[in-house]
Amino acid sequence: MAEPTDEKRRHGEEEEDDDEEEADESGYKTVKDAVLFAIDVSDSMLRRPPPSDDKKADRDSPTSAALKCAYQLMQQRIISHPKDMMGILLFGTEDTRFDEINSGDQSYPHCYLLADLDVPEASDVKRLRSLVEDEEEAAKLLVPAKEGVTMANLLFCANQIFTTRAPNFSSRRLFLVTDNDNPAADKGAKDNAITRARDLYDLGVIIELFPISKPGVGFDRAKFYDDLVYSASPSDPDAPAPISSATKVSSSGDGISLLQSLISSINSKAAPRRALFSLPLELGPDLRIGVKGYVIIKRQAAVKSCYIWMGGENGEKKQLAVVNTMPMTDDSVRAVEKVDLVKAYKFGGEAVTFPPEQIKLIRQCFGDPIIRIIGFKPVSMLPIWANTRTPTFIYPSEADYIGSTRVFSALQQKLLKDNKMALVWYIARKNAGPVIAALVPGVERLGEGGEQVMPPGMWLIPLPFVDDIRDNPDISLVKTTDDLTDLMRNVVQQLQLPKAIYDPSRYPNPGLQWFYRILQSLALEEDMPEKLEDKTVPKYRQIDKRAGEFVVEWGQALESEHALRLKNRSNAAALKRESATDKLSGPLPKRIKTERGATPAGEDEADSDEKMLRFRKTGAVRTLTMDRLRKYLGSRGLGTKGKKGDLVQRVEEYLETI
Amino acid sequence: MADKEATVYIVDVGRSMGKKHHGRDKTDLDWALQYFWDKVTSAVMTGRKTLNIGVIGLRTDGTNVSDAGVNDPEGYENITVLQTLKQTMLSDVRELQAKLVPSASDEGDAISAVVAAITMIANATRGKTGKPLQYKRKIVLITSSLGSMDPEDSDQLDAIVSKIKEDGIQLVLIGVDFDDTEFGFKEEDKSDEKAEIEEYLKKLTDDCGGVFATLAEAVEGIDTPETKKTRPVKSYQGTLTLGNPEKYDSAMTINVERYPRTSIARPITAKTWFIKRDPAAEDGTQSTHTVTEDPGDGSNEETLGGVKTQRFFQIEKEGETGAKIDVPQDQLESGYAYGRTAVHIAESDRVILELDTLPSLDIIGFIPEDKFERYLAMTKTNVIVAQKGNDKASLALSSFIHALYETASYAVARFAAKERKNPLILLLAPLIEPDFEGLIDFELPFAEDVRDYKFPPLDKKVTVADKSLTQHRDLPTPELMDAMSAYVDAMDLSTFGTDDDGNSAEYMPMDETYSPLVHRVHQIVRWRATNPTAEELPDPPPILTKYSTPPAELAEASKPQLEALMLAGDVKKVPPKQASRKRTREREKPLSGLNVDELLSAHPKRARVDPINPIPSFKQTLATTDNIDTFKTAVADLAKVVYSYITNSVGDARYGQALECIRVMREEMTELEEPALFNGFLHELKRKIFAGELGGNRRDMWMKVRMNRVGLIDQKLSPFSEVTEEAAREFWKPPPPPA
Repeated sequence: MAEPTDEKRRHGEEEEDDDEEEADESGYKTVKDAVLFAIDVSDSMLRRPPPSDDKKADRDSPTSAALKCAYQLMQQRIISHPKDMMGILLFGTEDTRFDEINSGDQSYPHCYLLADLDVPEASDVKRLRSLVEDEEEAAKLLVPAKEGVTMANLLFCANQIFTTRAPNFSSRRLFLVTDNDNPAADKGAKDNAITRARDLYDLGVIIELFPISKPGVGFDRAKFYDDLVYSASPSDPDAPAPISSATKVSSSGDGISLLQSLISSINSKAAPRRALFSLPLELGPDLRIGVKGYVIIKRQAAVKSCYIWMGGENGEKKQLAVVNTMPMTDDSVRAVEKVDLVKAYKFGGEAVTFPPEQIKLIRQCFGDPIIRIIGFKPVSMLPIWANTRTPTFIYPSEADYIGSTRVFSALQQKLLKDNKMALVWYIARKNAGPVIAALVPGVERLGEGGEQVMPPGMWLIPLPFVDDIRDNPDISLVKTTDDLTDLMRNVVQQLQLPKAIYDPSRYPNPGLQWFYRILQSLALEEDMPEKLEDKTVPKYRQIDKRAGEFVVEWGQALESEHALRLKNRSNAAALKRESATDKLSGPLPKRIKTERGATPAGEDEADSDEKMLRFRKTGAVRTLTMDRLRKYLGSRGLGTKGKKGDLVQRVEEYLETI
Repeated sequence: MADKEATVYIVDVGRSMGKKHHGRDKTDLDWALQYFWDKVTSAVMTGRKTLNIGVIGLRTDGTNVSDAGVNDPEGYENITVLQTLKQTMLSDVRELQAKLVPSASDEGDAISAVVAAITMIANATRGKTGKPLQYKRKIVLITSSLGSMDPEDSDQLDAIVSKIKEDGIQLVLIGVDFDDTEFGFKEEDKSDEKAEIEEYLKKLTDDCGGVFATLAEAVEGIDTPETKKTRPVKSYQGTLTLGNPEKYDSAMTINVERYPRTSIARPITAKTWFIKRDPAAEDGTQSTHTVTEDPGDGSNEETLGGVKTQRFFQIEKEGETGAKIDVPQDQLESGYAYGRTAVHIAESDRVILELDTLPSLDIIGFIPEDKFERYLAMTKTNVIVAQKGNDKASLALSSFIHALYETASYAVARFAAKERKNPLILLLAPLIEPDFEGLIDFELPFAEDVRDYKFPPLDKKVTVADKSLTQHRDLPTPELMDAMSAYVDAMDLSTFGTDDDGNSAEYMPMDETYSPLVHRVHQIVRWRATNPTAEELPDPPPILTKYSTPPAELAEASKPQLEALMLAGDVKKVPPKQASRKRTREREKPLSGLNVDELLSAHPKRARVDPINPIPSFKQTLATTDNIDTFKTAVADLAKVVYSYITNSVGDARYGQALECIRVMREEMTELEEPALFNGFLHELKRKIFAGELGGNRRDMWMKVRMNRVGLIDQKLSPFSEVTEEAAREFWKPPPPPA
């Protein structure tokens, strides 16, 4: 029997597959992340900050801030990592709740599994939201137990959850939020906890501690947690040690709130860092160092549509259907066995085949995966159009070559100082085609709070080959005058973005946000959102205020310059054209808006808005020809496809907006 | 649509072409055919129906010109039409290969062949009314002119020249060992006859405005890949605005169009087929097929059948984790996954997920050029120009481009290509060339697109106590910094190349780099078509690997700097074995440095594998001992856990846990250099599964073991293994059914 290929595809899905090459099978572990959020529930964790008049002041108890974080993280992960798991475990509660599948014969008093470790379900999000938003609901559950929980027990509870729910996830992490820096009652309890923490380490689970310092007491890791937490991750011992997060201060009213700082600290750990590749960087013959590549920038897309089982004849619960595939003969008569599949190229009406070992050689004749420096050039020799895809971030690794970090650092600093780049021959994987890339140094960027926004390292920017470069389109260029340029310069200078940089964090993706907003409200059976605050829409009022005058001035100059040029054309042909042009663009004082859009209008140009509004009043839009409707819609940049009814409706809708 | 083409190749196959000259290792004909096949297979590869090729043999043994439309063969002796003008298929290639062999004749007139070619083209490119159709017409004459030929009198020659010109035919002359001063080739000891004919043909070519090249140059040119020109297609036409023209009179609007500027060329793709087996031969005797056994038949489509992918659907059985049931497609509808929750959205309702956008290119603001980080460029690039034929728009855009250029600024804009398309953010950069002005654009990341990965600084070391160190083994010493600086300067490419005039220029400019993979696949497929039985693949042409290493001259000159850098950097490769010698390796410690293993060994119960905590207890048991018996017990214990997981699993619910145990056991036994212990277990597991001893049919578990590649530890993985790679592969096969 031919085997379904679903499993295989799932393994390779995180690969950045540029070409149609087969991705390397990266061992057996699924490249997925499972996070169990463990939140301490105790008297001090439930204590609210003293009331304050300051708007920015904290209103959340540490526990409720942690729950809010978890709520936010859960929604965020559904968008950004739709296949990753998350669970929420409260500890120290009076109540105990634990799934029997996980528990075996064990019992875990005062551990309350709020959401089992799994890909979140809409009901998990709802439950969490009710805890966050409904104080009564929260008060019912968030009752601290009298005797508290033993840490060893909690850690073993986490152990069991990870073992059963996410047995072969390559990244498994326990997020621990607590303000108790010494939860062990005695040496024995501490030793037990240390042992259980070691179990987690051996299991491949990382403990990420998010300590909250109690007012006036602080949080001393050395008392307890330094014996439990390991610096390197067991699955990726080579990953540079994460920067230890600063202890949160729960103070009232001064600046950044507990919630905000907890969110930012958790966000920085939200996605486990995964290397895309580990490669030698060859500086010259016989000089290689080790580097790892990371995908820091990548377009986040909405989930693709999928198949849903509607509940069958008995009206059961709707379910996501898993799609498996099987190769069949094209007449669907029978399944094809894998050994009978062969790759062939079309050539001259026939299929040209190669034995499998030759298929490999076609691609692999360029040598092993490597980043090899060919030489150096000033960054100015990298034209702005020379881009093909998203760059990859690289950072040194000592795993294969000791001394990589210092050599990499020297290279990065030298290139930064002299504004140079390296040109490299780059083969990312065994089957990948070679690419020529620019290796450009990147500096560390810090945010307002001194936190890292962009890491220091180097960026691999794949360059186009001559095959990838298109010619400029043919144009008949009409050149500007110095005066006109000067007027436009005023405009440009007035409208700089804040801090004179493009800061991606200011611009959430409106399409993606809207998609998930709708999907979420459908999933949670909420009311549909009305509108989305789209931060990518330019600030029109400000543009008018700051640059309006200059644009108007430029517009007038443009009109007269254009008129002058038209006048200067003396022959009859030019005159003829002039009248046509005039008609098309229309003299528009103060306003350079041309009424012409998508369809090139000839003598029969599109109707004006005013005219169309009159038609609408008399209900005559319906009587217009398709051609006329299309022209009008086209000139407004609207869709011109569809039946007449659609076009009429579109015109009417548009007219309502003006 | 590309133009229709009609090209006739005239190939000299005279007796003398079968000889080798000037110490070359191939005959003149083989040499000439190198050029010919390159051109022909390239044409075949395009698959274009309108790319017609005809072939005429010159100095053939017989005569046949009737296929060219020449009625009277008188004067066309020893000229044979080998292929009429048509789209060339692989079968034609094979036929031509058989025909293009040296003849026994040295007779045959090249000019007559050209006339035959003219006739052939004229007949084939005429419309029904007899009028010539729109065609690109071309004659390529490949000859060594070592035969006999009577130069025509000049009247006749003039008639031919004017006919060629009148028909708009391009004449290309490729001469074997023809003198070419431009290319720098001169044949010594050239016979007077050859010199005369050579001159005569060159003059003919020259007179009708044709192209001449000596064969050496033409063959050299083969390696320079042809790049495909793509017609520019607009990806947006609409307005570039600043401000809101609907609301403010002060808004700027310019009509623009947008075209691709870079676009990654992909290699041609292979399609998947299946090998048709002869049902009569399906008795086990014919196990492999012609494709591997006899590549000569590999290009025979009759043995291959098309493949399509059949989908089938499964859902989880309610209340039973791991149990799956098949469902028919008619019980399915489209929708989306919100986490684990299925959200049904009918296809017709999908619009509610879309933002209500109108097409626009709307400027958000400006940033200084030097504050822009180049790594934010996410995509291929486009170029934006003014609407075609709109002079005012062109003037307006020109002033905008120059203003950006003069203020050294870029614009950031919100872009929606079409109605209801999700907006993107673009960077707009000015591009000014002598006769061209435009805006280059590419996409910038949104907030969601930047991952928050943190890395330590490279120029300082921050300690736990928040102290900043400037000296550390991870930080370069001043010596290393100097050595690096000297090396980088020495390896400068900005002036290492030479331009056409011999002046120093940039080395490796982008327009001299060819996509290795695109042209490699192209090369090999064409090579296979003309060499169906060859075993060894040819190497990629040097032009594709030219930039895979630093230029030798520069590397040589920079050797002292490199050596100094190596000395200062003191990089050492980690020996590959060291990582796996676990017995001597120290176990990791928590942040405090506490020796947890000591603590563990104080707990005697930790010496056995705990079924509810199997993996950690297994690892810890192994860590406490060197005793092989303890290893054996631990492996046996963990094996029991695996069997119990499988036996008690509902569907595949516990397979994951079992797999993880198997993986850990395999990893640990590899590191402890005891592969036999693991391999013994795996044999037993396989036996139990196929014997049905683990709670019924668990063959799907075996499939998982196989898919996850946790097979026998072979000699490649561990030198201590007695299992060969071959045996490890064989092991995957199910056991033979009991006799």
